Amino acid sequence: MKKLLLVIFYLSVFTATFAQGPPIFTDTPIMLGLEGRGIRTFGNIISRENGSGYVHPVVFPYNITNKWQVGVAVPFVSMRPSGSTSRSGVGDLAVFTKYQIYQKDGKGKTLRSLIKLAETFPTGNSTDSPALGTGANQTTISLVNGYVTTKFGLYTEVGYNITSNGLPDNFIYNIALGYPLLPQKYPPNQVNVFLELIGNYILDDIGNNLFVAPGIQYIAGRRVLFESGIQIPLNQVAPVGQQTDYILRIGTRILIF
Amino acid sequence: MKQLTIVMLLLSICAVTLKAQSQEQQQELKGIIKVNVDGLSCPFCAYGLEKKLKKMEGVTKIEIDVPNAFALLTIEDGKSVSEELIRDKVKDAGFTAREIKEVSNEK
Repeated sequence: MKKLLLVIFYLSVFTATFAQGPPIFTDTPIMLGLEGRGIRTFGNIISRENGSGYVHPVVFPYNITNKWQVGVAVPFVSMRPSGSTSRSGVGDLAVFTKYQIYQKDGKGKTLRSLIKLAETFPTGNSTDSPALGTGANQTTISLVNGYVTTKFGLYTEVGYNITSNGLPDNFIYNIALGYPLLPQKYPPNQVNVFLELIGNYILDDIGNNLFVAPGIQYIAGRRVLFESGIQIPLNQVAPVGQQTDYILRIGTRILIF
Repeated sequence: MKQLTIVMLLLSICAVTLKAQSQEQQQELKGIIKVNVDGLSCPFCAYGLEKKLKKMEGVTKIEIDVPNAFALLTIEDGKSVSEELIRDKVKDAGFTAREIKEVSNEK
């Protein structure tokens, strides 16, 4: 169960790690803006009934073309179980690629879809306790859609996560609605608010995890934004005593070039 | 043999005509150019468009109007930019160019 909880934990934190633009937890099919040469980094504070954790991935996306992106995510993980020794170090490293398969543009609006393939490697220590990694390879294939206008943005992500080492596979389903509070202008000075649903259904009759995640984002100019969101559980499969209270994310995205 | 010569001659004339038409379509634009851009829905995404357009030779200033979905390019005096090149840059940036026209000094 501990390994499975770690898989869920990585999914909660990582599914939207590879996104370059809004929203906060759900991925986006728009691979513009950072022009593939940015950095995304954020801290995730996880509060659980039996302890706490902190995951801080640094993500480096690179656009080969405006429709094809590759990238790598390196997480720093710190686990603090209640009444036990804390451990910190590198977690499970992930590589990903995205390819845009559909684009329909209109005045002030766009509808786009992409296919995302991510591979997570068991680079985090999973033998000592508390474990920093899952000890399993994970392959995730997702379809990411977005309808974005100057008035609002609607994003969905559905995917399937294949795990090794006898852990159950799971379906990923995320949906996000974003709304800008200020008039749109360029260079940007915008505050966006988001409401997201972050879910995964674990096969082998284990059950469904569903989080609701309100968030806020401040775009401070051409090259930087700051964001924060909190995932609050609506339903989770973890046994009582090991359940998640919340996952708080505080992060930034920076354009380098 | 005579028929083959006639066919080759007709094909050559067609090729020359098409090339001339293509050159005419590559309109050179000067002054201030308004580029209507579809898909421009988030200001954070517009940075790539600004960068691509700025890289064109002769462009001295870029203004992007997200709510009205256009970019204004100011071209250096005595220089010009082809409409086709602008369309290519907009496409490279991940957007779709619609009408492109000179607006002189008027916005």
